[in-house]
Amino acid sequence: MSGRAAIIGSIVAKDLREFTRDRFYVVITVVGLAFYILIFWVLPDTVDETIELGIVQTGMGEFFEQTAEQGLTITPFETEEQLRNAIVEGEDRISVGLSFPDRFVEQVASGMPTTVTVYVTGDVPPEIRNTLSAIVTELGFLASGQAPLVTQPAEAEVVLGVDRAGDQISLRERMRPLFAFFVLVIEMMALATLVASEIQTRTVTAVLATPARVSDFLAAKGIAGTLLAFAQAVLLMAAIQSFGNRPGTLLLALLLGSVMVTGLGLIAGSAGRDFLSIVFWSMLFLIPLMIPAIATMFPGTAAAWVKAIPSWPLVDIIVQATTFDAAFGELSGQFAALAGWCVVAFVGGWWVLKRKVVAL
Amino acid sequence: MVEPAIEVSDLAFSYGTTRAVDGVSFSAEPGEIIGLLGPNGAGKSTTIKMLTGQLPPDRGSIRILGKNMPADREAIQSRMGVCFEEKNLYGAMSGVENLRFFGKLFGIKDLDTDHLLERVGLPDRGGDRVSTYSKGMRQRLMMARVLLNKPDVLFLDEPTDGLDPVSSRAVRALISQEAERGATVVLTTHDMMEADVLSNRVAFINEGKILALDTPESFKLKYGRRSVRIRSRNGEHVDETIVELDDKDASERIREAVAAADLLTIHTEEATLEDVFVEFAGRGLQ
Repeated sequence: MSGRAAIIGSIVAKDLREFTRDRFYVVITVVGLAFYILIFWVLPDTVDETIELGIVQTGMGEFFEQTAEQGLTITPFETEEQLRNAIVEGEDRISVGLSFPDRFVEQVASGMPTTVTVYVTGDVPPEIRNTLSAIVTELGFLASGQAPLVTQPAEAEVVLGVDRAGDQISLRERMRPLFAFFVLVIEMMALATLVASEIQTRTVTAVLATPARVSDFLAAKGIAGTLLAFAQAVLLMAAIQSFGNRPGTLLLALLLGSVMVTGLGLIAGSAGRDFLSIVFWSMLFLIPLMIPAIATMFPGTAAAWVKAIPSWPLVDIIVQATTFDAAFGELSGQFAALAGWCVVAFVGGWWVLKRKVVAL
Repeated sequence: MVEPAIEVSDLAFSYGTTRAVDGVSFSAEPGEIIGLLGPNGAGKSTTIKMLTGQLPPDRGSIRILGKNMPADREAIQSRMGVCFEEKNLYGAMSGVENLRFFGKLFGIKDLDTDHLLERVGLPDRGGDRVSTYSKGMRQRLMMARVLLNKPDVLFLDEPTDGLDPVSSRAVRALISQEAERGATVVLTTHDMMEADVLSNRVAFINEGKILALDTPESFKLKYGRRSVRIRSRNGEHVDETIVELDDKDASERIREAVAAADLLTIHTEEATLEDVFVEFAGRGLQ
């Protein structure tokens, strides 16, 4: 090993030793990893897409037979009062209900006005409410034996990518990027603490009074931070079985993500004086960077500005590679963006820490 | 002719608009101990920072062991030992681990940590974490770190600051041993007695300038009072006589006083280094 590499290696080894002796970060890392892994496996891995529908007017049951096969479970009730109580109490997971008036079929068939009451709980999304209204309309036509006023157009559905119909993305899968992100952020704070400690205790001055250069010190901090973050992110991803068919793609993404948070850790460590100020600076980065990981929990909700956040490419690659089995070639744009943000964060961190060290 | 171990010429440095060091020049021979004395903010630490390569000078030249600082920084630093005013050790690591880490930075593969710890009086505490050390023990470990690469030049910033008399004496003994080995020592201190005991020459610094540079003895003779204070018992009273050594009858008066039956004490009235500094700077050391 050359002189420079030996010096950098010695500082990295020292940093890792210091990390393992920081009781707070060791505990928070181990407990955090165990907690995320436990939560992941406890969360359901399937999505129950069945709508539990309560109806009043048993005579309508035959009309629902065909619809029930498409994800509706029907529970009949004798009275409207029973249906309301069942929905309010959440009995049999019923959250929506239809109350058909007596002689509904006859009235509809004879063209008489009639009203069907739709009951929903407050948390039922608008699309389900609209679906129920559509069902009522369809039933009207069905009961009257008449065709709809307009001719129904034929549908040609083309699914781009993996068709997840009937196999929706589970909460467990949606949480995956968030878990990875949390691990990276904790290691960002651990690195920031190491850096701040070197500055506050002036041990960096002692290091730089030896043949070690400022660049050796900075490189060592970058390597130590990246190693810590990458190792734990890989461990987490392995424990929650994320590598699947795209291990190389995911490893590269995690490596780039680790470099990015390391750059931010260097900035937080340079700015922070003590634990509280490090937490403050880390939160300053954490909160905006966490937005993409939260956005992926609600597919289709990510606004355009969310995609401009530096952590978006990382989160998107994790989702695409683990959930949709996307190959490296399909993710080249996201990788280019992630690499760009890596360079920005790491060069920024290097520059800020260098200024701080030289000014001591 | 032996080349000076340290040769500093017209050194200057400013923090923004504040001139911290302004035209400092001096040289030191191998085996010599130079004491830099001055109040807080006088420019001592800034001078040391430039000599150790931590700060690039705005002006002037520094030659250490025949090489130029900062151009040959790494070559000089590999033969240099620095003791900082701050106890900048890694608290989560043991004394031995601290020494081994810094030894690796110097490229030392077979570092004898036992010997080093023995030298500084910490033979049994090397395995303990530094965070459990007392202030004196940390200072001793700092000295062990200074010595680990057998340096030819030592820069010691307040090496006995806050130490108990036993630890201070141990550290001073180490400094003297290093000078006897041939190492050049640059020492900054507030402790006039320490500078007097250790230094071959002392430089008084104030407002970034060296006001005077000479041996402690020369300063004391030049700026002190050539007199003897004699105290003797006279019944229930204590008489005190001051004899000016330059007086013609000085020898006779001293003889008479010594012959007195109830002689209590005799002291020379030479100047202290602090007196000398006040003479130069117009204020006492802080």
